[in-house]
Amino acid sequence: MFLRAVAPLTLAWAALALGAPACAQAAAATPAPPSEVRAWLLRIHDAASRRNFQGTFVVSGGGNVASARIAHFCEGPNQYERIESLDGRQRKVYRHNDVVQTVWPLSHVAMIEQRGMLSSFPALLQAGDDGIAEWYEVRAEGSERVAGHEANVLAIRPRDGLRYGYRLWADRASGLLLRAEVIGERGDVLETSAFSDVVIGIRPQPDSVTRAMRRLDGFRVVNPVLTPTRLEAEGWTMRQLAPGFRQVSCVSRQIEAPDDPASPQPAVIQSIYSDGLTYVSVFIEPFQAERHPKAMFAAMGATSTLAQRQGDWWVTIVGDTPPATLKMFAAALERRKP
Amino acid sequence: MSMGTFDEEGARQALSALADGELAGADGAAACAAWSADAAARRDWHAWHLIGDVLRSEDLASDPGADLQFCVAVRARLAVEPVVLAPMQRRNVGVTGSANGPRARSGRWMFGSAAAAGFVLVAGTFAVLRTVDTPASVPLALAGGGAASTAARVPAPASAVVLAEAAPGDAVIADQRLIRDAQLDRYLVAHKQFAGTSALGVPSVFLRSATVDSASR
Repeated sequence: MFLRAVAPLTLAWAALALGAPACAQAAAATPAPPSEVRAWLLRIHDAASRRNFQGTFVVSGGGNVASARIAHFCEGPNQYERIESLDGRQRKVYRHNDVVQTVWPLSHVAMIEQRGMLSSFPALLQAGDDGIAEWYEVRAEGSERVAGHEANVLAIRPRDGLRYGYRLWADRASGLLLRAEVIGERGDVLETSAFSDVVIGIRPQPDSVTRAMRRLDGFRVVNPVLTPTRLEAEGWTMRQLAPGFRQVSCVSRQIEAPDDPASPQPAVIQSIYSDGLTYVSVFIEPFQAERHPKAMFAAMGATSTLAQRQGDWWVTIVGDTPPATLKMFAAALERRKP
Repeated sequence: MSMGTFDEEGARQALSALADGELAGADGAAACAAWSADAAARRDWHAWHLIGDVLRSEDLASDPGADLQFCVAVRARLAVEPVVLAPMQRRNVGVTGSANGPRARSGRWMFGSAAAAGFVLVAGTFAVLRTVDTPASVPLALAGGGAASTAARVPAPASAVVLAEAAPGDAVIADQRLIRDAQLDRYLVAHKQFAGTSALGVPSVFLRSATVDSASR
């Protein structure tokens, strides 16, 4: 029933997404072949992992702007990162490979996380199939100057109405992504992230990261636990995936703040899907009337959220996609076990 | 408008509904009037909003007395503000005629100041709404430190517009009660640990999740 309702909308959006920009860009280069698309995206990804750089990153969307200092070092197979938010409450994030440590200096709390699942992205790219080119049309659009660097511009347009478009500016010399925009269904920019200044090819100083990560005296350390699981094992099934999406991970976890005084809540199942560029998270938890007042839908910046009751369960779907995609996930989720 | 028509529990329920934006028209006016006349109701009102704020972010914690004093000061200033009376006079003539006399006017007065205080609260809601609104980017980072001042400086309507347009041709329920819900934020944080426009490579994934402050500290 849901699907039937969604289908005409999808078609309309597809027409919008493909039609309008196509007219505007009639003169642009022809779409790149799949192998080239993969090569471009891999180059961007590799530059982000393997280059040494330091700069100020500004993220804006929905009328808000915030910035962070970032330093990234790579030594052999090891990656180190330091991110310091420049707005609002003091917060520093350190990363050594898969270990991410978030520190709030003022409240003396440190959160240490294992984020092994992040490797799923290059896996999607290298898998050998050309999923991204199947769902997105990628064109090179000349070059522009960003943060003092010559950058190649890539326009990534969705081929249907189930995903957003992107515009990427990648440093011509290194491939490092200097600026990215998320483009909505009407060609509007939903979100921009960009370096305002960046130095690429600095001398790596991994010690500065590892030293800071060991400095935990006087901090309360929180270790959130993500337990791998399967949707089927939890009594659920996704009857039909939105076109282009596949499951990349499924975990059982707490999403409460670790220091929340409220009594411990039941674990939430988080099943994560990706089409290679964007992600959708499906959260499932037992329904509790006092915590889950009523169904809702909200779209904010590039991220949409859909929450509704399904029998004795409460389902929340979050994704950087148009609303129609979330609805497809919601309609396809089925309880198998009573 | 008279307090007598409300029993205590009913008044609290009405106030709660008002806080959730579910009360409109005459009911809303009545609840506002009760709110403005009853010190206990005012205390509840501020406590509820403060709870909501703190659930959203500790940075929004503030002395509830400050809000109260501000509202009291606004009421006091309004009370001595002669300009306010002029538009009132016109409405009397245009809408109801001037037949109602002083009693009705004092009633309207109460409503006026309650509405003024209500506006302050609406502004507060926007501040909170804005902080959620950046999931795209950077929500709580902005809420941090000088949440009120930061949010107040940025023109607020943008987020409201986005919400209104949220899902073309579709039933959209984007209500502020949920936007204020700290729960929503936790889903966003959990989602962004993985997501991020991932074509941007690992650092930007981290930037997105790093700039989205988790409610956990």
